[in-house]
Amino acid sequence: MLTFTLRRISLFIFTMLALTLLSFSLSFLFPGDTVINHSGQINATVTELAKLNEAYQMDKNLLNQYGAYLSHIFNGDFGQSMASQSPISAEIIKLLPATIELSLVALLIAMLVGIPLGFIAAIKHQKTSDNIILSLAMIGYSIPTFWLGLLAILLFSINLGWLPSAGQISLLFEIEFVTGIQFIDILLSDSPYKWQAFRNASAHIVLPAFVVALAPATIFIRLSRAAMIEVLAASYIRAARAKGLNFSQIIFRHAIRNALIKIIRHVGLQFANLVTIAMVTEVIFSWPGIGRWLIESIYQRDYTAIQSGLLVLSCFIFIVHILTDFIYAALNPLARGNKHGS
Amino acid sequence: MAREKIYLEEVFPSPFMQLWEIFRKTPVAMVGFACFISLILLAIFSPLLAPYSPVDGNLDMILIPPAWHSDGNVSYLLGTDELGRDMLSRLMYGSSLTFGLSFIVVIFSLVIGVVIGSLSALTKGIKSSFLNHSLDVVLSIPSLLLAIIIVAILGPGISNTVWAIAIVFIPQFIHITRYAVKEEFRKDYVLASRLDGASNFRILYYSVFPNIVERLMSQATLAQSAAIIDIATLGFLGLGAQIPLPEWGAILANGLERFYIAPWTVYLPGLAILFAVVATNLVGEGIRHALKLRKEN
Amino acid sequence: MSFKLLLSLLAVLLASLLGGCEDSGKLTLSQRSIIYCSEGSPQSFNPQLSTSGTTSDATSKLLYNTLIVFKGENNILAPSIAKSWHVTHDGKKITFYLRKDVQFHQTAYFTPTRTLNADDVLFSFNRVLDPEHPFHLVSGGDYPFFQGVKFAQLVEKVEKINDYTVRFILKRNDSSFLANLATDYAVILSAEYAEKLLEANTPNEIDISPIGTGPFYIKDYRVGSLIRYYRHEFYWQEKAKIEQLVYDISPSKTSRLTKLLARECDVSSYPIAHKKIAERSDLHLESVTSLNVGYLGFNTQKAPFNNKLVRQAISLAINKQAIIATVYQSQAAYAKSILPASSWAYDKNTPELGYDPARAKSLLEVAGYPEGFQMDIWAMPVPRPYNPNAVTMAKLIQADLKKIGVTVKVVSYEWSTFLRRLSLGEHQSFLLGWSADHPDPDNFFTSILSCSDSKVASNRTFWCHKEYDQLIKKALETSNINKRKQYYARAMHIIYEEAPLLAIAHSKRFQARSTEVEGKILSNFGGVSFHQVAKALAYDKSAKQAAQLNKVNE
Repeated sequence: MLTFTLRRISLFIFTMLALTLLSFSLSFLFPGDTVINHSGQINATVTELAKLNEAYQMDKNLLNQYGAYLSHIFNGDFGQSMASQSPISAEIIKLLPATIELSLVALLIAMLVGIPLGFIAAIKHQKTSDNIILSLAMIGYSIPTFWLGLLAILLFSINLGWLPSAGQISLLFEIEFVTGIQFIDILLSDSPYKWQAFRNASAHIVLPAFVVALAPATIFIRLSRAAMIEVLAASYIRAARAKGLNFSQIIFRHAIRNALIKIIRHVGLQFANLVTIAMVTEVIFSWPGIGRWLIESIYQRDYTAIQSGLLVLSCFIFIVHILTDFIYAALNPLARGNKHGS
Repeated sequence: MAREKIYLEEVFPSPFMQLWEIFRKTPVAMVGFACFISLILLAIFSPLLAPYSPVDGNLDMILIPPAWHSDGNVSYLLGTDELGRDMLSRLMYGSSLTFGLSFIVVIFSLVIGVVIGSLSALTKGIKSSFLNHSLDVVLSIPSLLLAIIIVAILGPGISNTVWAIAIVFIPQFIHITRYAVKEEFRKDYVLASRLDGASNFRILYYSVFPNIVERLMSQATLAQSAAIIDIATLGFLGLGAQIPLPEWGAILANGLERFYIAPWTVYLPGLAILFAVVATNLVGEGIRHALKLRKEN
Repeated sequence: MSFKLLLSLLAVLLASLLGGCEDSGKLTLSQRSIIYCSEGSPQSFNPQLSTSGTTSDATSKLLYNTLIVFKGENNILAPSIAKSWHVTHDGKKITFYLRKDVQFHQTAYFTPTRTLNADDVLFSFNRVLDPEHPFHLVSGGDYPFFQGVKFAQLVEKVEKINDYTVRFILKRNDSSFLANLATDYAVILSAEYAEKLLEANTPNEIDISPIGTGPFYIKDYRVGSLIRYYRHEFYWQEKAKIEQLVYDISPSKTSRLTKLLARECDVSSYPIAHKKIAERSDLHLESVTSLNVGYLGFNTQKAPFNNKLVRQAISLAINKQAIIATVYQSQAAYAKSILPASSWAYDKNTPELGYDPARAKSLLEVAGYPEGFQMDIWAMPVPRPYNPNAVTMAKLIQADLKKIGVTVKVVSYEWSTFLRRLSLGEHQSFLLGWSADHPDPDNFFTSILSCSDSKVASNRTFWCHKEYDQLIKKALETSNINKRKQYYARAMHIIYEEAPLLAIAHSKRFQARSTEVEGKILSNFGGVSFHQVAKALAYDKSAKQAAQLNKVNE
């Protein structure tokens, strides 16, 4: 486990350096003055500009500049947004939790729906239900997310009027910002309408979460189906059958447990996919998350925000990636010796 | 696979032909393949086939619903948009942007990826390991996110979108080629031709490529379906094709304002995207299915 | 993880979501509140600092009061904070007598110790007038409306006669002065609050966390997302009927419509798809005829539009009727010149450059562009009352101009970037418009095309014509209506000859609301008001359905 941990940490540091280097170089790639791209202070006066140049060590060589940039990042100073002129770190702290909330709920739904369906398909391998599940999975995988989101709003919000179409919660509820994860904040708040707010917030998350979950769910169907077919063909299952265990005992005691471990390995990669889908979905459902903010920053050519937003988002994705690696390694001792695991 | 021949002679079809034999026996895959081919033809010949211009509208004919609707007009089979442009023509022209461009992008990145991938498969040591790690980092970022990042740097526009998607796919093809070539090189038949004195290049060209081509094709269909969705999504977000280009995602975004009074301007381009992606995926599934069966045989 | 567990988890999820839709308790909260879907964020919370309609919507009539207001159909000046006023015979001294019972907002960040008095009025106007004033340069020192009407050149000084009497001394008679004081921009701020901020060395806060006397105060503002207002309990008039007002900032037209249709907002500004709203029995579409004009302006400082013939040619080539049918869905009046027909100064003999592509082509040849040329049109990214969809309009113009050989590139930026770059003169031509701040015709002539405005404020054609400027100046100096009319008719003739812009349409301002919401929100001038708005008890079908569903759930 120690070598495994060390290897992951070195990979983590390598990637962080690569990502910060990328984000640092973005300031040079974007049009306009580098130091203004770093800091986002478009209205800086001459003296302020001189101060900024010194802070980012713009007169020294690139290595020093990169060092100065890194120290700003580590102090939580991402500069300020060119569009709104407020500090980017504060904006990100407000927005990132909403994205995390949406992604986690969607991941949960994708796994809860996808994995059992995949298992059923594997158990009924090459029968009608297998084919139906696979066909559905393929169509689900092919639907463009933004289109699905629009159809869902048209059907469930407008025509049926069951579920709200926009935002995290009805704006009538005043919920104090503590963690940014709406459900936790509601529980922490002392609003007299706490439980109504909670229900309202859950109604708001249903549509976007299901829309985000669809594509990853189909991938989980494929993954779990493949894993289950492999497990069912393994010799210990045959041994269990030979011992006289009945079918459900074999499935629930042995097969599911072993197949799940294989799937967990892919959760990290799927999470990255899911966050991307969430970015698009946030735009459609006016979800106040970092994806919508980032896309708006691209419209407004707010380079400082793009640069920092990308850095934070990719770091976040990578951290989740590493975390799932650890969970997988903890559950499956075989993985720890694997030299080429990514 | 017995065949009646006058002379008893063993026929060994090439691996690719074997695959095709299996592939064409799967009806679903063939349907997908037919759709795929017709989309390619449509993409090439849309200027000849489309009844109207995709950009200039007829202002007397705005927001006409599709022909099957009671207010529809047969000369505008799929209706018109807010500027009186024929939806059918726009969608046909759109096939060359969304589908055609994604096809070109995939071919382009396939060629570059295969060249770099096979060259890198022949190298060893620290260079190779560095490449491996960098590829791992790049591949762990989803293609759409990476494309958004690149478009953010290059600025919105259809040509920048195409470049961004090409840049995203090249590493994927490098990775799969590298892996496949390395695997083949470990096999005995390569050793045999090496003992015959064949150069690395010759081995690659005559021995290895024929054996990995269908794996590349399978990866290409995956990339193609991702490319269609990526181009359309970027178009929808306003980062890809700009007005008045009839790119499917951009048409959809443009129709969004009139979603509730002219819903066909939204669901038709959506269906077009879905159709193209499903056709591509069916072909891909067919190839993978055939590959599996051939292996089992 | 068993299937049973999965199923029960799903069941819990479903139960919580179905329960989330309707709720007897929430109805009461929602009955006491109104959610307004607005089209953008205000630029500031002080309307003195901005002429954008979005800013005055979110501030003027909600947070502040003015000395006098326009009232009734004919827009007669009526008392507000000033209970009466007196104008001397020469029109140079105007005295206002203030009410004594006007309370300022009490908020988390400020508690007033006194009611409104002459000091507050002096503070509010001196901030604009006096460059030495400690607050003049706070938030940039630009007061576009006041600069546009040349307020500082007009007002000699503002005097305090006693605690509740204020006198304005003017350098000359100006017939639009009182109308200017009744606009949304001439609001009264709190001098006491300003003093406190100065002591705390945070003067910027005055425009960020505002204190006024209006029917609502600000509880919470999240940039780009929402503004939460609470009712001002000690409002000097009858207090507002709703307790909470939420501005849901939704720049996307489609999402505003979706929220309206899904009943997630009660009132929506600038709705699209009027047909769909009209179909729904629980929604109501309303409009006011506001004095405005949407136009295509030319940057007269840049080639080829420094040539009058080119401007005329382009004007002749554009089919305005088609634009009105498509972009305004025929909900607008055809514009011959910048002044709407409903203004008293309108002259029905005003000449115009009609649709005549053949003449346009020949004019282009005379101007030396027989082959046509390339140009850009800047189209606003947001709907405004005078132009609900500038991008579509630009596309139509693009098609029209193609016929005379002119190739058009449509350019659009995010709203504030758009305005900033426009003020730098980066454009060749642009689609913009003007909504009148008050009924005086001068508001059109000066703001859109005068020389002074070409430097500081709203004249983005950068057109500066001596005779035109003289005419509109003369028109202000007399109070003889007939004479003014003549001057303005002559001015419109100059616009016709010079064609610095092509007026396209005078449109209505639209708004959609749920039928539960009662009371007047839109007015002919300036921002929206929620003072008189209430929510009726919901006894309609949807409420009954909700009740039934509730029973099923229980």
